Order: sequence, then structure tokens, then C-alpha cells
Amino acid sequence: MGRIRKDPNLILLTALLGAALLLPLAIRSNQYALVLLTTILLYGVLATAWNIIGGLAGQLDLAAGAYLGLGAFTTGTLLIRWNVSPWLGMILGGLVAVGFALIVGYPLFRFGVKEVWYALSSAALVEVLRVTFLIWSQVGGPVERYLPYHEWSLYHLRFATYLPFFYIMLGMLVLALLVNHWIRQSRLGYYLMALGENEEAAEVLGVNTQSCKLEALAIYAFIVGVTGGIYACMYGFIHPNFFSGPMSTEVAILGIVGGLGVTYGPVMAAILLVSVRELLRAQLGGQLEGLYLVVYSVVLILIALFRPQGLGPLVRQAYGRLLSRVAKE
Amino acid sequence: MTDTLLQNLINGALTGCIYALIALGLSLIFGVMNVVNFAHGDFVMLSMYLTFWIGLWAGVDAVFTPLLTFPALFLIGLLAYYALINRTLRQRYVTQIAVTVGLMTFLRALTQLIWKAQPRALPYSLIQGNIQIGPYTILASRLVSAAASVLAILGVYFFLSRTWAGRAIRAASDDLDAASLVGVPYRQTYALAFGLGSALTAIAGGLLMTFQQVDPTMGVRFGLLSWCVLAMAGLGSIPGLLISGIIVGAAEAVGMSLWDPRARSLIVYLLFILVLWLRPRGLFGRK
Amino acid sequence: MSAPILQVSQLTKRFGSLVALNNVSLEIREGEIFSIIGPNGAGKTTLFFNIVGLQKPDAGRVLFRGADITGKPPHKICDLGITCTFQVPRAFANMTVEEAVRVGAYQRYRGREVQRKVDEVLQICELEEYRHQRCCDMGLAPLRRVELARALATEPVLLLLDEAGAGLNPSELAGFMEILRRLNEEKRITLCIVEHVMQMVMGLAQRIVVLDYGEVIAEGTPQEISTNPRVIEAYLGKGAVC
Repeated sequence: MGRIRKDPNLILLTALLGAALLLPLAIRSNQYALVLLTTILLYGVLATAWNIIGGLAGQLDLAAGAYLGLGAFTTGTLLIRWNVSPWLGMILGGLVAVGFALIVGYPLFRFGVKEVWYALSSAALVEVLRVTFLIWSQVGGPVERYLPYHEWSLYHLRFATYLPFFYIMLGMLVLALLVNHWIRQSRLGYYLMALGENEEAAEVLGVNTQSCKLEALAIYAFIVGVTGGIYACMYGFIHPNFFSGPMSTEVAILGIVGGLGVTYGPVMAAILLVSVRELLRAQLGGQLEGLYLVVYSVVLILIALFRPQGLGPLVRQAYGRLLSRVAKE
Repeated sequence: MTDTLLQNLINGALTGCIYALIALGLSLIFGVMNVVNFAHGDFVMLSMYLTFWIGLWAGVDAVFTPLLTFPALFLIGLLAYYALINRTLRQRYVTQIAVTVGLMTFLRALTQLIWKAQPRALPYSLIQGNIQIGPYTILASRLVSAAASVLAILGVYFFLSRTWAGRAIRAASDDLDAASLVGVPYRQTYALAFGLGSALTAIAGGLLMTFQQVDPTMGVRFGLLSWCVLAMAGLGSIPGLLISGIIVGAAEAVGMSLWDPRARSLIVYLLFILVLWLRPRGLFGRK
Repeated sequence: MSAPILQVSQLTKRFGSLVALNNVSLEIREGEIFSIIGPNGAGKTTLFFNIVGLQKPDAGRVLFRGADITGKPPHKICDLGITCTFQVPRAFANMTVEEAVRVGAYQRYRGREVQRKVDEVLQICELEEYRHQRCCDMGLAPLRRVELARALATEPVLLLLDEAGAGLNPSELAGFMEILRRLNEEKRITLCIVEHVMQMVMGLAQRIVVLDYGEVIAEGTPQEISTNPRVIEAYLGKGAVC
């Protein structure tokens, strides 16, 4: 059964990837559309990474902004100060994020901080970092720090168009999905799912829940940290507001709406919700500030209330039905 | 130096009494029905805007607006309970969080839509002026607000211990099954707790507006702040809430005066994280 | 008489003012089916939790084949070969039966071997037909067998079963007991069962310990226990055995 279902999935994914690769050709040099698409991809990457700690391991992490910001500041500062290529910078940024995650995560998991308290303490973390970087004037400060301008420099990862960032982000998304897929099939994945369902039951089956959670947190932080480096280059500056609480919450919401633990769920949620949000903003934002968010939050509440399992299973069902119909013919 | 510090400490401790009142509302909601309400801070923000609006259009002073906003917030709380929370009681806590985060976004966007993003403040308050004690100057409105908060907390305390409805709420928070057995209707009790918890933010909102301005992003701050107070106090101890509120308020003020005005929330959140690490049940909690 | 596999000596566990275990000592021997009975709230589940490491005792020691394992984390104790099932099934609700069992199988196997172990355990527990069903869609009887299968996949030498027979109808119970007996005889797994269902205890156990209010009040063979006056007073007198 697994094999039969996997193959059409693979075909579909390849088709989607192909379509995504060709998409910029269709919209040509429409920068607005490119930014929108890249933003969707960005949220897709973040939510897919979140799926590891939030979806599989069931730890409601609200600190995506913390890791994103650390990655962005590491990459940006290295580039501004020492002209270090962001390609190296983003890896280091990822590692800084991992280091921070481990330092914070170890006591949290050691002392058994769980559920709502884990969520809140991670949310607090984002704000702590934002204010710290706001005050720490050598690196942060209240003014944007701009990365050096280049028309087209691969070394500096600076381009006058968003097109390369679209492809880089697409690459990150594929990478994040592969990591997710790989974990889902591995021992770590099974352990995470088990402890996400019931920690004590997982413990007596030999799962070292503490170290599994730390591993999941580290992988998530790394992906988000690297993405932060790309994020900084894409926007061309770094600012303490990159440590964004609302963004962190939104990443978690995308993961929940996509369906916890469903590998491709968060991407679908990102495509759906981020484009809805941006379209609403484009349509309504001009006239009435906040209206698009009103509509958006209502959509969110309705999905959470009436589809508590998320959109993932829904799409899986529809797709399964479609497949069986195709198979019959 | 010590004078400014003490001055700030006093101010902070007084504001902390209001934080305790806000956290009391949250503790009713979280303690009784175990609902994780991320929108609590935005109820505070909404109350502040309502106070502002009533103050501006009806000329009611912020001190008296709770007479109007208290029932209003109670009704809004009931509405939120029956429309949203009630449906999530049997769901996983992530669903609850998703719904209340939705509510949070909704409230923030709504206030932004109606009142725009810029900060709003009331031009005057009935309680004006300063009180001079030795070298320290205390804003009369802060002092009155703190006193009113403590009174409100006492009121809730008596409500919980002396009235049938209050006892029902406490019973439900201790042991829901046993409470149901002795005839406590749990849905109504939940609704009452949620309504009351939300209504308490009306008092806090009114009091805050006597010396503060409001903007739509404030909800997040009050939300995290009240969770911090609750985490420190633990569940079930009303005096503990008051002490924790004062500690948090004072810590905020000390951070601002000793370090940097922007460090205000930093200290609070660091304190919060530390408490979670070291005393997951809170300093005064019983469960 | 075979050597002891597990020795519990003077174990005490308090929750605030409540003494859940008071100076409990007992000995489980290699290869036997041992049973702990006692009224509700007698401390049976607490005893299990303290043995497998989910809770840490306030005093006393737990020895496994002579080595002190008191207060070790559960995953280490599982690695040594002790695991348990839960009174209220703690199903991995959103995982399929096969996935749930896999979690246990990873304890001792890697790669292809994992699947082999899973298949073997599913067969023993008669769960092959449920393989791809999600745990939250299952009835109580197969769910109890999933709990057992999960635990078995870790290849325990000592398996603690907490009221594994509760809520099963007579034919389901007979099937379950048959599985347990086979495990004990063929796989030489030492079993310790906490049980309310007397039919299961009397049918399986070779030795029984009776707990009441956190204390051991009797020990012996099923025959000795069922005629012990203290036990009858504390427990059987309430009509639990007919």
C-alpha cells in the first residue's frame, strides 16, 4: 500500500516542483509577484521546519523569530564587518541558532517545561532577543543596518532582483521537506511522534525524550537560522524587529493548520494562508488598515474550529479519492 | 540614585497591583477550565480602547467607565466562550491555542480598524496631581488604581469563597468530576469563569487608562505579562498573585531605571523563563 | 527456586502528606508470573512507576539482578530489560499500530531488523489485521494488545502489566491470558501483573503479593492468598472474588 501511494505522490511532487521552477517565467519580472511568491516559500520553509519540533514532537514552539533573527544577524554582521560571504554566513548563522537553542532548550526539557509553558517561554525568548539586540548597539540598535549593495554578486548574495531569492528559497523548501521526510522515516521520527503523543509511554519504551526533543529543536533551529541568513540578504538589511513575535506565532499557526506531523501540510497551509493574507492586504489594505487581518483571523479561527486535524488530511483524502478514480479508469 | 530607584520601585509595585488583577482573570480561565487563552492581553487592550471611547464620547471619567465596560466585557467574554472556547474544550491544546491566537489577531485587527494604529490617551482624569511622601512623588492616579485593583481582587476573593457561584467555580477547578457529581453545572460554570475573567480586564483597562496610553500592539505585552505573573504565583493562590504582580511590576521598573527604558519587558521575560526553569509550579502554587 | 530478577526493598513514596508506598519490599523471581493485587488506591500503579523510573522513590531501593537501578531514567531501565504497560491505555493515538510497535522495536534493532521484529510481535499479539489502523480508531481489546506489543518489541526480560485485563469480556480475556502464558513459557519473559480481574490473577500467577494502603499485607501462592484472613478482610471480603 505504501509503495503504490508513494509513487503517484512522487510524480505529483515532481510536477509541482517543475511548475514552481517555471513560475517566474510566467510572471516575468513582476517584482511584486516575485516577492509574494518568495514570501510564501519563506513561510513554507519555516513552517516545514517547525513541523519537526511542533508537529512530530508536539512541542508548541513559538520562537521561530528568535532563530530567524539570530541567523540574519550573524550573516548580516559577518558580511558588513568582515565581508564574509553569506553562503558561509548562513551556515554559521544556523549554527549560532542551534547553539542558542541548545542552551535554552536543555534546561527547559531538563526541568520538564511542557505544553503551554513551553509555548510561552519560547514566545518570551523572541521578545528577549528583540530587546537585547535593540539595546546592544554594537550589533543591533534601533536603526536598520544595510548590507553592501551589489547589482549582481553571487559572493555577497546580493541581487537587484528577487528572482535568485525565489530559487534559493525554493531550494531551501525542497531541502526542508527532504529533511522532514527523512526524519519521518527514521528512528528519531518515530521517537518524536511517540513522545508527542504521550511522553511517559514513550519513556518506558526506551525513548530518551529529553535528548530527542533537543535533537528536534536543533534541526529546526538550524534550518530556520540558515533561512534567516537568506532573509537578511533578500531584504538587504538587518533590524531587531526580525525577532518577530507575530511571525513566530504565524509559523506555528501554519504548522497547526497544515496538520500536525503531515510532511507537506505546512507548505499547503503557507500557500493558502499567506497568499490569502497578502491578497487581502493588497485588496483591502489601501482603504482600511487592519481589515485584511480581521478577515484573515476569521478564516484562521474557522479552520481551527472546524478542521482541528488541519488541512493536510483533508487534501490527502481528496487526493486519495482522485487517485482511486484514476486507477479505476 | 537610590532615590530614583526607590521612586521607580514604588511606581512599579503600584502598577504591579493592576497586573495582579489582570492575571487573576487569566487564572480563573486557565485554572478552572484549563483553557490556554492567548487573547487575554488583548481583552485588556480592548477594555482600554472602550474606556478611551466612552471617555471621549460620553465624557465618563476613566475611573467610572468600568461600570459600563465591566458588563460589556462580561458579555464579550460569554460570547467568546460560547462561540469559540466551548467548541475547543475537548480538543488538543494546540487547537485551543490556534483558536485563541485567531481571536487575539482578530481583536487587534479590529481595534486597529476602528481606532487606527496610533497611541490613544485620555486628556484628563478625575484623580489628578501627585502625592508627596518624603522625597518620593507618587502619581495620585497610580495610587488610586493600585488601591482599586487590590479592592477588586478582594472582591473576587469574597465572591469565590462566599457565594454559591464562586464556590462552584472553585470546586470545578479543584476536581471537575466531583463537582459535577454534587450538581455543579460545568458548562455554565465555565462560561461564568470565562466571562468574569474577561470582565476583570475591564477594571484593569479603566485603571490603566488613568495614566497610560493605549495602542493595538499592547495586547501581546499584557498577555505575556499576565502569564508571567501567573507562572510565578502558581495556580490557586490569590495573595500569591498579588505578590507576584508586585514583583513583576517592580522588576519592570528597576530594569527601566537601572539599565535602559527599553529593557522593561526584557527583565520580565527573563524572570518568567527563570521561574519556569526553577519553580514550574510557581512560588505560591498548590498544584 | 530460581534467582530473584527484581528486588524491591523498603520502598517509600509520598505525595505531600499522602503515603502512596510505605516500606514496600518484595521479590520477583526469574521466569515466574508474579502478581500484585490490592484495592483501589493501594499503591500498585505507584509501585510500577517507581520501578520503571517514571517516579523517583523517597526512600528504598530497587535492584535488578543485583544491580541498583533506583531512580534511573525510564529509557535506561527499558534498555536493561524492564518495561511496563499502562492501566489506562496510553495509545499513540495518531500513529498506526505498526508505527506504534516500531517505537519499541528501535530499542534493540536498526534497519531491516526493525521490521522483522515488528512483524514477529504483531503476530504474537494477533494484531496483523490491524497493522495499518490508527490507534485512535481501535476498540479496547485490541488496544490492550497494542500496548503489550509495543512493550514486547523492546524485548523485555521483565514485563510489568498494569490492569491489562480490565474492561475485557471473558473471551477476550481468555485470549489475552493465553498470549501472556505463551510469552512466559516460550520467551521466558518474567511477568508481573497488577490486576483487579481475579480470574486472570488466579489463572496465571504463581505467587501473589497483596498491597493495602501502600503496605504489603500478605504474600503467597494463589491458594494461600485466597484463604488469608487479612486479605479477606482488606480486600476479598468486599466480594471481589466469587
